[in-house]
Amino acid sequence: MTAPLLACRDLVCGYGRPVLEGVTFDVGPGEIVALLGGSGCGKSTLLRTITGLLPPLAGEVRVLGAPIYDLDAEARGQVLRRTGTAFQQDALFGSMTVADNIALPLRELTDLPEPVIREMVRMKLALVGLTGFERRAPASLSGGQRKRAALARATILDPDLVFCDEPSAGLDPVVAASIDAALLQLRAVLGMGLVIVTHELESIRAIADRAVMFGRGTLCAAGTIDELIASRDRDVYTFFHPRSA
Amino acid sequence: MPEPLTVEREPRSVRVHLHGDLALATARDVYARLQPIARRRGVRKVVVDFARAGRIDSSGVAVIGLVRSWCARHDKQLELASLDDRQRAALEMLPPPAAVVRRTLEEQVVEPVTALEVVGERVAGVASAAAALVALVAATLRQGVLVATRRRRLPAGSVGSQIVAMGFDGMFIVTLLAFLLGVTMGFQGVTQLQRLGAGVFVADMIGLSMVRELGPLIVAIILAGRTGAAIAAELGTMRVRSEIDALATMGIDPHRFLILPRLLAITVVGPGLTLIATFVGVFGGTLVASIALDMPMAAFWERIHERLAAGDFAHGLAKSLVFAWIIAIAGSHLGMRAEGDPTSVGQATTRAVVTSIFGIILFDAAFAVWGPG
Repeated sequence: MTAPLLACRDLVCGYGRPVLEGVTFDVGPGEIVALLGGSGCGKSTLLRTITGLLPPLAGEVRVLGAPIYDLDAEARGQVLRRTGTAFQQDALFGSMTVADNIALPLRELTDLPEPVIREMVRMKLALVGLTGFERRAPASLSGGQRKRAALARATILDPDLVFCDEPSAGLDPVVAASIDAALLQLRAVLGMGLVIVTHELESIRAIADRAVMFGRGTLCAAGTIDELIASRDRDVYTFFHPRSA
Repeated sequence: MPEPLTVEREPRSVRVHLHGDLALATARDVYARLQPIARRRGVRKVVVDFARAGRIDSSGVAVIGLVRSWCARHDKQLELASLDDRQRAALEMLPPPAAVVRRTLEEQVVEPVTALEVVGERVAGVASAAAALVALVAATLRQGVLVATRRRRLPAGSVGSQIVAMGFDGMFIVTLLAFLLGVTMGFQGVTQLQRLGAGVFVADMIGLSMVRELGPLIVAIILAGRTGAAIAAELGTMRVRSEIDALATMGIDPHRFLILPRLLAITVVGPGLTLIATFVGVFGGTLVASIALDMPMAAFWERIHERLAAGDFAHGLAKSLVFAWIIAIAGSHLGMRAEGDPTSVGQATTRAVVTSIFGIILFDAAFAVWGPG
């Protein structure tokens, strides 16, 4: 059996006080798993915990098989370099061009020659549909373009696992669909696993293999999207059928 | 570490056998060795054989992409042989060579390429900034007239709160620095003038220089660092967060709502703090001088009173007023021009301080040379 890329066991996360408790789930290689739940349910807190930014209050997080919070900073950094994170606010550096933003991990963490770095940047930009945007400043991009540039940066090192926080939030359906398409393309080409925090129903249906849902301070449902849509659990039903609840 | 590639030479062609993964760990080495092979003059065809290659990641694909571009540019044939399905899928990531990518109009970036274009762009930038500055001053003055003629109102309490923030909160630092400046000047003056037997003239020196020059200047520099930076940062942040656009869409003029209160407040605060700084600076200087020369302070004050005319005070206060306006206008102008992301707020703040201090010193020099005596 293939080892999971991400394994959470009895996880309790929060800022001093628990926001989510009893969280146990796995993400397998090449799998797209959506973390679902209403606003304020703790999805982003969980994301901070599984990306190594917020130590859990209890339980264990294993990323690529390694218990990241039991490792020293150097070893944890080595593990996290094999993951990528695309933040909700894109987190592109305004003082750099799009190409420099995307090339940053390569320049800092590898000894690749500059022509190879530039070619990799061009390749990743093409994958997310931003061919020719190398010299643009992040400020000159639209919201969807910024998200796609952030995705290119998150995947520049060919990570095994990518975390995306609200990749299509606040975007029109066409741009949101293009982000979804970019995620599927990246998965197909790079074979990476994806953990996506979202509450965009269209997006979940289009790309997620499985979903884990949170509510009332804990994990309240997990399964394939079809299973969750058919669920009669009150919270799950309300989430997937908001107008008929 | 095993060789990442071996080369088999054939007449007018080269067959490169890749060994193991073509990934981050080996890409640099493979690139360094493939490049001269592809460049070799006699070679018309390069065959890259993947039979013994393993996984290819993005860096490996990029290396192959560069070799492909190089071969295409030099009319050489590139053949990728014995690819398995995974390798073929990875190589599908390769976009078309850069030269053949046709950009849409939206994607095209017009960038200056020649020195003349760079200079032209700079000049156009300066002209546009100057036009925006004039427009800002004109719009603010227009709003000022509307407020003065009671056709518009300032936001309730806005001038008062700005005076508190600019003036009262900055009073301690202004007072302390002015006192220390006066002490330093008094000490240096006494030390130098005593040698010439002219110690008593230190009063003239302290009085005139504090009232006409150093009082306004020290206050202006502190105001530029505190208030000018704060104005640029506040307005820049509002601009980046679309708060100024929100005001405009509500039909509220941002010049009246945001800039005019700050301009009026600094009009009061600049000369006010200058008066305080001048008095405290003269006090510090005369205190040191009276101790060093063993003379009563009252004698110094009397001499200063005799030597200074009302015109000297008017000179200092007029300068402080202009300095204050330079600070407020530079801060407002650069803050309002911030756009895009938070980085521009930091840039606007830095520029506001530098521009204010530059403007202040420039005006001071001009005033010293051409101003009233």
